[in-house]
Amino acid sequence: MNQETVKGSGLKGWIFTTDHKRIAVLYLITSLVVFTLGLLLALVMKAEQWSPGKDIIDAKLYNVFFTIHGAGMILWWMIPVYTGFFANLLVPLMIGARDVAFPRLNALSFWFFAGATVMAVLALVTPGRLDIGWTGYPPYSIKSDANTSLYVFAVHLLGASALASAVNFLTTIITMRAPGMTWGRLNLAVWGILGAFIIQLFGIPVLAGAVTLLLFDKYLGTNFYNAAMGGSSMLYQHLFWFYAHPAVYVIALPAFGIVSEIISTFSRKKIYGYTSMVIAIMAITFLGFDVWIHHLFTKGVEDWARIVQSLLTILIGVPTGIKVFNWLATMHKGSIEFKAPMLYAVGFITLFVIGGATGIANGLLAIDLHVHDTLWVVAHFHNVLSMAMTLVAFAGIYFWYPKFTGRMYSEGLAKVAFWIILVGSLLAFVPFYKLGLLGMPRRYWSYPAEFTDTYRLTVIGGYILVLGFLLTLVNIIRSAFAGEKAAANPWGAKSLEWTLPSPVPVYNFEKIPVITAGPYEYGRPEEKAVPEGAQAV
Amino acid sequence: MKKGFWILVSVVLLFCLFSLAIAGDRAVDPAKSWDNHYNLYFILVAGIWLLVTVLLVYFSLRYRRKKGQGDGAYIPGNTLLEIIWTVVPLIIVTLLGVQTWAVYKEYRHVPKDAYEVNVEGFMWGWNVTYPEGIKTINELRVPAGRPVKVNLTSKDVLHAFFIPEYRVQEEAIPERTTFFWFKPSRAGEYRAYCTEFCGNGHSLMLAKVVAMEKDGFDAWVAQQKGAVAKLLPVDRGKKLVEDLGCLGCHTLTGEKSAGPSLKGVYGRETMLADGRKVVADDEYIEHALETPNRDVVKGYTPTMPPYKLPIEDEHAIVEYLKTLK
Repeated sequence: MNQETVKGSGLKGWIFTTDHKRIAVLYLITSLVVFTLGLLLALVMKAEQWSPGKDIIDAKLYNVFFTIHGAGMILWWMIPVYTGFFANLLVPLMIGARDVAFPRLNALSFWFFAGATVMAVLALVTPGRLDIGWTGYPPYSIKSDANTSLYVFAVHLLGASALASAVNFLTTIITMRAPGMTWGRLNLAVWGILGAFIIQLFGIPVLAGAVTLLLFDKYLGTNFYNAAMGGSSMLYQHLFWFYAHPAVYVIALPAFGIVSEIISTFSRKKIYGYTSMVIAIMAITFLGFDVWIHHLFTKGVEDWARIVQSLLTILIGVPTGIKVFNWLATMHKGSIEFKAPMLYAVGFITLFVIGGATGIANGLLAIDLHVHDTLWVVAHFHNVLSMAMTLVAFAGIYFWYPKFTGRMYSEGLAKVAFWIILVGSLLAFVPFYKLGLLGMPRRYWSYPAEFTDTYRLTVIGGYILVLGFLLTLVNIIRSAFAGEKAAANPWGAKSLEWTLPSPVPVYNFEKIPVITAGPYEYGRPEEKAVPEGAQAV
Repeated sequence: MKKGFWILVSVVLLFCLFSLAIAGDRAVDPAKSWDNHYNLYFILVAGIWLLVTVLLVYFSLRYRRKKGQGDGAYIPGNTLLEIIWTVVPLIIVTLLGVQTWAVYKEYRHVPKDAYEVNVEGFMWGWNVTYPEGIKTINELRVPAGRPVKVNLTSKDVLHAFFIPEYRVQEEAIPERTTFFWFKPSRAGEYRAYCTEFCGNGHSLMLAKVVAMEKDGFDAWVAQQKGAVAKLLPVDRGKKLVEDLGCLGCHTLTGEKSAGPSLKGVYGRETMLADGRKVVADDEYIEHALETPNRDVVKGYTPTMPPYKLPIEDEHAIVEYLKTLK
């Protein structure tokens, strides 16, 4: 490794860096930029929903906006913030390694991702703007005058980035753990990231194939998805969701891990049921691949396939439930301190249970026949992603803020933003459950006049929510320059990364540590404790 | 002995739960079963959410760190508790899963006496064809009290036909026929939506579902049938060409569109994509309706869907095409 490029400061030092901590920050910056773009698009769409018919943009532009909003929020914000930012920042620090297994490949992963970001922005501003939904279903994506090639190539670059990362991090976690860092002492965040990358490794090639065939159909005249010529338009949906559903767990598993770290640290209590937590993560990793048909419950799929995957879908509720109850049990008899990350984690749990419970409805075949592709579903996945998983991302950013900036965030601002986000998101999305049950479909530019009042409630909620998000962005950016200098271990945490100074030096560990205990050993009674009173003598 | 007792209790409990799941209103109306199913689901998940949230708030207050307090208690886990919160959710999802299975079976089991209509989605609207040969656009009229089966397809891209009142939707897929059924228990006017994103007109792709009392419905059918039968073949052909949406791809002005113009098509000598030359006579046009992709005109792609029309309708269309000079 060339030491100069690693240590170099200034722009060059960032562009040519192979340091996992710097790459993490690059991911975070890119993700936050696209997140902000997605928020702005949402604000315009919300304004358009103020009344039925046209308020400020026409149907075509509205379709472009929800396409870029959806793709941006999932593929550039939620997935990369976990598999890009958190994975890069945490994995080497938590397993006691100096970097990932292939640092230059890691840098390449990021720059593929950056290239895909440029394409996403081009897709928004160049002619033939994408109006095909982030799902890009044919035949519409083939018939539309949208420049579908940008979509396909962006997915290719994202896929190449994610596959390289998957190989890199799986190798790192398996082979580079410090002496004594047994599987049973691994942080749950690392377990979650492991599960996420297993999904990436097996799922992404399928998605890449699906969109490549789309490219061939549109530009080379093949007929993979053309039913009139012996193809099948439904084939695309199967291939797409084979990856795109497990992709939800690419987000959720690291998030679950991060919540476990935070709850254990601020309750000053060992994580409850460590083994069952790990089993739950792995169960979700593998079950996640057997449930994609719930996205096709109303789409002419064979009855037996619908029934089997309905049962498998709701089965995922069981390992998810195990995690929730273990978090509760961790707080029980703890010594809980409500710093911002803990507040966000607790908020996450209650919002996530709503999102999980409504996900059960989507998984229940018969119920789904009514709520499928309605605003109920929009409410459900915003409940999970925009509320729950985004809260965890913020919680994690605050929690490890000292480790990658050397400074502290503003505690007061973080807490104010939390309550604004909570109120805003409930107001923005709970009415959507009601509208969905009343039959209002999703991806509608206009709507029947009788829904106007309910829609307006969600518009107001949406603006409050975005205010909370913007305050969080201000906090994250401002604190990097103006925050207080952070101590090495401001939370008194017992996990390995907190033994390092803040910010973490380039080589992480001067000497590779020898691990003798797990990361959650709070309040462990001394095994050879001196009997009470004996010392007084 | 003690183990056996608990197994027995569990089996009995499970049996009760399953009977509960499958029992309920057996009246054959999926929409009603849906409501029962949703209610049970809602009670269960709302209960779980309340339990979690109440515990969360209670623990947050009760175990808040006091000044000078050190670490919490050291409790790595409890196997029995962990088994309990694995098995109880497992029972709940199994219960809901069995119920959903039972309700879904109702959704797919179409009663024999169902009134059968064909619905075709297009960008952006719905063509409805009734067994009596009547056609309506963006309006589905059905007799109240009788089950209705909808055979669904699409002319161009994916659409989905959703009637919230009857708690049912299904995808309209090109080159395929899917189905759903419902029971309009009473007369009324309801809304149907397209729920599969299909482009600029997606949010305007609504239809009216009108459930009519039997007498009213029969009168409407008779009236519509009479109106169609009274038409001269030429006029009927014109109506068919318009109603079937032919004009989406074929102009009447001589301009090229996705398909060749219908102006002067009858009797025209035409070069086909495979090099054959044909004259567009009665036989050719009737074939072109039934198997349009066999004799594709040179310069066009085989995209036209096949139409299976009664022979009188085909004749009527030919008569109309003859007039387009």
